[in-house]
Amino acid sequence: MDIQLKRGLLDVCVLAAIKNEDSYGYKIIKDMKPYIELSESTLYTILKRLEIANMLTVRTAEHDGRLRKYYRITDAGLRRIEEFKSEWKEVISIYQFVVREDSHE
Amino acid sequence: MSKEEFLTRLRSALAGLPQNEVNERIAFYGEMIDDRMEKGVSENDAVAAIGSVEEIASQIIAEIPITKIVKEKIKPNRSLHTWEIILIILSFPLWFPLLVAAFAVLLSLYIVVWSLIISLWAVEISLWAAALACIAVSPVGFIHGNIFFGLMLLGCGLFIAGISIFLFFGCVAASKGTVKLTKKIAVGIKSMFIKKES
Repeated sequence: MDIQLKRGLLDVCVLAAIKNEDSYGYKIIKDMKPYIELSESTLYTILKRLEIANMLTVRTAEHDGRLRKYYRITDAGLRRIEEFKSEWKEVISIYQFVVREDSHE
Repeated sequence: MSKEEFLTRLRSALAGLPQNEVNERIAFYGEMIDDRMEKGVSENDAVAAIGSVEEIASQIIAEIPITKIVKEKIKPNRSLHTWEIILIILSFPLWFPLLVAAFAVLLSLYIVVWSLIISLWAVEISLWAAALACIAVSPVGFIHGNIFFGLMLLGCGLFIAGISIFLFFGCVAASKGTVKLTKKIAVGIKSMFIKKES
């Protein structure tokens, strides 16, 4: 898939993974796995980018005698998801146009 | 590989990057391995699932902008003495041209590589032009009764067209290769700064 397109999509995927409850790295990857495979390094980059964009906040909490980072979505992050939903309608209509051209051949 | 070994190797592969950045990465991968082990995965498998140290390190290095790496590299471990600052300012006429020259050399290398590619494409385009011209002119030979001349032109045109088709694939491969090479060189320059520290 086109790298720029995928990058934007993965950002929204990660936001969606922490939308309902705070989550941590391994859980995010596990939750996304049925839909899309994500490597640890890629996730790190996405989380960093979203944190800088103020779309999520990070807190460190103790878990089982060790530290774990939890990610929480912000209002800006929630807005991004809504934005994506409305953008997606446009993408779907583009897709339908492309498919329609195919079936005419 | 054990978790400790993995993290130690990753740390030494990243030596030279900003320290807080390295710590953050190490903590992130450590947490990932711990979480996997908590779910019942063996330590070996949990480490293997993360991937190889070399792959991760080169991906991280490719992501970090070179300015950040250089900044970290030239950052002195202690604050500079006054005389050192004066010396740096006074030696400006010396080190500045050297710096400019170094960049100029890099830039010219880059230009040389790309001009090779451009000239390859120029040859390709001119071959096509020659082939088309030969084929277009050949009917003149036939019309004037000089069949051999016409045949020769037609043959030459087809021959040149054949060569340029071959060359086209060469051009595409060379262009792609150069793009890959320049990317590799960028990562290479970055890791030069990083490896020396370890």
